[in-house]
Amino acid sequence: MAELLLDRRSAPRRRAGRSLVHPDWALLAVVGTLLGLGLVMVASASITVADRNTGNPLYFFQRQLVFVAAGLMLMALMYRIPLQQWERSGRGLLLFAAFLLVLVLIPGVGKTVNGSTRWLPLGFFSLQVSEFAKLFVAIYLAGFLVRRGEQVRNDLRVFLRVVAVLGVFAVLLLLEPDFGAAVVLMGMGMGMLFLAGVRLGRFAGLMGLLVLAMGVLAVSSPYRLKRLTAFLDPWQDPFNSGFQLTQALIAIGRGGWTGAGLGNSIQKLFYLPEAHNDFLFAVFAEEFGLLGVLLVIGLYGWLLWRIFAIGGAAERLGQCFGAFLAWGAGIWIGLQAFINIGVNMGMLPTKGLTLPLMSAGGSSMLVTCTLIGLVLRIDRERREAEASAAAPRRRVVP
Amino acid sequence: MTRRRDKGLRFSRRHFVVGVLLAGMTALAARSVHLQVLDREFLREEGDARHLRVVKMSAHRGMITDRNGEPLAISTPVDSVWANPGELMSARERLPELARLLGVPADDLWQTIASRADREFVYLRRHINPDLGRRVLALELPGVALQREYRRFYPLGEVAAHLIGFTNVDDHGQEGLELAWDAWLSGEPGLKRVVRDRLGRIVKDVEQIRPVRPGHDLRLSIDSRLQYLAYRELKKAVERHRARAGSIVLLDPHSGEVLAMVNQPSYNPNNRKGLKVEALRNRAVTDVFEPGSTVKPFVVAAALESGRVPRGLRIDTSPGYYRVSGHLIRDDRNNGRLDLAHILIRSSNVGASKLAMRLPSDVLWQGLSRVGFGQATGSGFPGERSGLLNPPQRWRKLDKATLAFGYGLSVTALQLAQAYSVLAADGVLHPAHFVPGQEVRPRRVMRAATARSVRAMLRGVISDEGTARRAAVPGYSVAGKTGTVHKAVAGGYAEDRYVAIFAGMAPADDPRLVAVVVIDEPQGDYYGGKVAAPVFSRVMQAALRVLNVAPDAPAGLQAGRVSSREGAA
Repeated sequence: MAELLLDRRSAPRRRAGRSLVHPDWALLAVVGTLLGLGLVMVASASITVADRNTGNPLYFFQRQLVFVAAGLMLMALMYRIPLQQWERSGRGLLLFAAFLLVLVLIPGVGKTVNGSTRWLPLGFFSLQVSEFAKLFVAIYLAGFLVRRGEQVRNDLRVFLRVVAVLGVFAVLLLLEPDFGAAVVLMGMGMGMLFLAGVRLGRFAGLMGLLVLAMGVLAVSSPYRLKRLTAFLDPWQDPFNSGFQLTQALIAIGRGGWTGAGLGNSIQKLFYLPEAHNDFLFAVFAEEFGLLGVLLVIGLYGWLLWRIFAIGGAAERLGQCFGAFLAWGAGIWIGLQAFINIGVNMGMLPTKGLTLPLMSAGGSSMLVTCTLIGLVLRIDRERREAEASAAAPRRRVVP
Repeated sequence: MTRRRDKGLRFSRRHFVVGVLLAGMTALAARSVHLQVLDREFLREEGDARHLRVVKMSAHRGMITDRNGEPLAISTPVDSVWANPGELMSARERLPELARLLGVPADDLWQTIASRADREFVYLRRHINPDLGRRVLALELPGVALQREYRRFYPLGEVAAHLIGFTNVDDHGQEGLELAWDAWLSGEPGLKRVVRDRLGRIVKDVEQIRPVRPGHDLRLSIDSRLQYLAYRELKKAVERHRARAGSIVLLDPHSGEVLAMVNQPSYNPNNRKGLKVEALRNRAVTDVFEPGSTVKPFVVAAALESGRVPRGLRIDTSPGYYRVSGHLIRDDRNNGRLDLAHILIRSSNVGASKLAMRLPSDVLWQGLSRVGFGQATGSGFPGERSGLLNPPQRWRKLDKATLAFGYGLSVTALQLAQAYSVLAADGVLHPAHFVPGQEVRPRRVMRAATARSVRAMLRGVISDEGTARRAAVPGYSVAGKTGTVHKAVAGGYAEDRYVAIFAGMAPADDPRLVAVVVIDEPQGDYYGGKVAAPVFSRVMQAALRVLNVAPDAPAGLQAGRVSSREGAA
């Protein structure tokens, strides 16, 4: 199905080799729309807070603009680097990721905000190591699944080894603590293993263990339990544990059908903490209403669909590294967008997760743009491979 | 496992994963419909409860002016600092900055907000000048905001303090005319609904619930020039005689308008710190005293009105005392036979008493009651006393006899001035009032001829022969009467505590002004003629000049001489 759709849209490749170098315009358009909306909303949501805290009302907007520009450059760079290079350096990247995650935990090195040590201060901005760790793990895992796919499927020990690696990373993330990143990392890893064809029985057992582990984690530390119960009924204690969530819900509810209009959010006026950050979506919902919300959810849905289709097309040509990497990227972006929006809407407990491509946050922006660049590269290599092969090999009749 | 089956497996797994993720997105969409359509009302209300506040817009209180438009009470804008305690508590470490600006100890400030943590509004400091208000706002503390209010300022200060009164911190009249006319002066504060950000700053106005209705201005009958000079003379006299208190009332007899009303002791209405309660009373209307001899002209008038007094009646006051019901009524000397005029000129208690005894009780009562004794003037001044005039049914013989020289009834200074204005206005009583245009009904209470002839007799008091030589005003004819009263104390009358009174008018032929001077407990001299009359003279002289009243008596002739066939004994 996805292939059909993709083939029809990318039909021009039949006509000339020239079109081969074209990136996936539709994907770029969606990404561009989300980036643009994100920039506008960061400006709108942060303008009063920035004015008060920094004296420059456009402080957060300007930073975000720089990150978006840098992200687009990274995206272009990724588009030009052959996937092979990434596939080869997977192990090194994994070790680097582990190094970063350990480094941030060393006292005095990592920067602590709100009780979480997630950042390496680099002067101009703080590097959120979990974002890069996720990227490097995805690249490593894609390569590993290509190299040892058969063993992962058949040999329980190899499968468990991969799971152990993922587990070590998850534990490192939980030590920061960064519960959200751990969930996204595990979700992405499990998804990739699932797509690699691991037997359902083994998989179910592992999933059961994971759910159990997460449950124990959540219940064992009281602050997580409190957060968990707070999101279930934020109105029970709207001025303490339910404060942020009730303010977010009010913002979303105030949006109604068509929203209060750009710039007219009231909740962003110090009522809703982190309005330009993790709760950007609530302010967006207040200003653009249900119509805007459905548009953005639709864009994310379409984006992950498209990424999966790109992965599927690559897989059919035997470009398995690209396929796994694309799927990993799709799960990652989809899952993170789902969790962030779900948190904003009170469907999930509050976590410190950004909304990919939209909310403020330098590391997230750079890494997500890198990821999109990789996906575009996967698409490009698939097209080039298809074009270099003979046209009659196409299986799908237009 | 063949490659084909393998592919098929992956194909379906991929779609399963995409399906799960898209199902998640669909769940988000469903949730947003739930929040933005179904729960919208509830969430809006919760939002409104946090954002919307009804804010009071203080109304400007009307200005009080004297009859010439001179300001007596004006409202100036000030700021009051208030806070939402819960929000301000989050910035505890910055409280000392705020405390320094507001001039209060930081600990007290903390106490103030901590003890009201469950409320949303507490005043931190009322009525600071707008400049300081701006500096407080510049601190940008969470939950701290300003409210525009108005503060009263009284340009005349202690000179008109009792009359004007003052307002409380909420701009409501507490005393005096500020209280009496509060409804007229105070506007109606407006209410508007506003959106506030979480720091308490108003982001925008949503709707006006009620517009501000500013208060009305109030023009008084007071002439601040007369008020000022009366106050100056009263203060001097009270100091000189080391008196306990004193009052002066100046009336326009032809309208009943009060032109001046001053009291001692007074206070500064602009700074009421350390204010003594006894300084607060507008004694001229709230304190009563026995009028003593100043009531005698009305006994004479009652006699004339009754028609029972033959022309040329003389009353034998020898030997200067007589006995009623076992009590001795006495003059300070033997005056012999006195006509009506000389009963007043000599202020003979025996004469007045004997005259009263010739009148039926109800005739005497009527004569006193009709000029206003025993009833409040209707000026509407808060706390005005009506004085006491017992009905004749309850009079014993002695009561009637002492009533004739002003014991056994009590009056306020304003009442006494109003009664004298009847004599001045040829028998018409214009009820005393403070606001021109206030509805009062003038009524004839005495034949014009009676008023004129009593007035003529009272001119004789201001003479070498009479008791009030010192009340004379150079250039003007004066009619008036002294009073010197033993103060009533528990169980009788104090031997050594007096009230010195003078009530009079000028020019005597066509009086423009009526004045009453009351000096309470003067030390040393205590006669009305010695203590109160000179004050009357000075006040009247200055007042007549201010009002441009043409002199009617060349120097040397001002003391009216009523021919006395009998002469003094």
